Amino acid sequence: MNSPQTGRSLGLLLCLQCRATVRALEVSHPRCPRCHAHLFQRKPHSLALTAALLLCAAILYVPANLLPVMYTQTIFDNEEDTIMSGVLELLHSGSWPIAVLVFIASIVVPLLKIIVLCVVLFSAWRGSPRYRMQRSELFRMVEFIGRWSMLDVYAISLLVALVQIRSLAYVAVGWGALAFAAVVILTLFAARTFDERLLWDTTS
Amino acid sequence: MVIVCPSCDLAHRAGMAPASERTRCARCGALLQRPENGRIDTAIALGVTALVLFLLSNAYPIVAIQYNGETRVVTLMGAALGFYRQGHAGLAALVFMTTVVSPFLQITSLLYLLIPLRHQRSAPGQNRIFRLIAQVRPWTFVEVFMLGTLVALVRLAAYARVVPGVALGCCGFLMLTMAALSSRTSPAQFWRWVEASRA
Repeated sequence: MNSPQTGRSLGLLLCLQCRATVRALEVSHPRCPRCHAHLFQRKPHSLALTAALLLCAAILYVPANLLPVMYTQTIFDNEEDTIMSGVLELLHSGSWPIAVLVFIASIVVPLLKIIVLCVVLFSAWRGSPRYRMQRSELFRMVEFIGRWSMLDVYAISLLVALVQIRSLAYVAVGWGALAFAAVVILTLFAARTFDERLLWDTTS
Repeated sequence: MVIVCPSCDLAHRAGMAPASERTRCARCGALLQRPENGRIDTAIALGVTALVLFLLSNAYPIVAIQYNGETRVVTLMGAALGFYRQGHAGLAALVFMTTVVSPFLQITSLLYLLIPLRHQRSAPGQNRIFRLIAQVRPWTFVEVFMLGTLVALVRLAAYARVVPGVALGCCGFLMLTMAALSSRTSPAQFWRWVEASRA
């Protein structure tokens, strides 16, 4: 089976900023003639950067889920909320569609993102051509839904800003919120540093 | 003309016909070309609308709660400020960047580029600003913020009386306007306008 023609085999570079196709130039740091962005055949140090960011995200995933994201103090009781207990509380208060939404955005999506990025990273590193169509699609899906995990951070930010009625009700931020936000941001960066084309570089 | 797939690097021969429809990569199915859509006037109109909605979203409270006779309101910036007051400057910066700075930069720099372009001129520093937009665009989280607000409202409704503010509606419209604006000002479309203005 003859290998398909690619940008690389034709000596073409694609500008990732403005999508111009440029003939590969024989200079050390080529720039796009149209928008002056840096050009490269593949994102530089893609695998190493993605792996490092992903490792940090995976480590922080533990405190993000175990540490409380907020403390609620009212005259009746004191409460500590983790991400999961927040979901359960929503479920008990009868708003199950919102509970499902938060569960997916805050628990399923980050975990799915870490797993999928690990899978695509590993197969790009191995250069295995198997299931690359599926892996490519998984990657794009995860890249698309990743941002929605920030949902809980915004919800907490509003609760913290609003519920500040001294001696009656008070919400404080927990360190879990920081760890959680860090997981979301790190995985967003990990998806951006990963060069999807590495999945397709080995011909079957 | 050759079009190279940004997702799998496969080279495609581009047809001679203008890009009037969505094309996908033959190998990996990634989007190669969006349909050419709209005139620059539409994009500018959407940009101005977005700017007005953005200013309104910041000027008025998003939500108010009433608890034991006491009323508290929060604005878009107040959401970030709440984190800052409790010593979480990192979280405050994150919220501030994604809900205030990034949308503002995206809207204003687009207008800065598009308005001169409409008069066949290019704005000073066009390439630099274009690259800035490309960097900023993925960090505009208005739609996620809207959903986050919904979650916060539901959680609060169990304890206090919740009154949605004017800015909440503005934010909703801002979200829709930004989506329309983004889809009409793809990098490819922007450079089509630039090339048309040079012709």
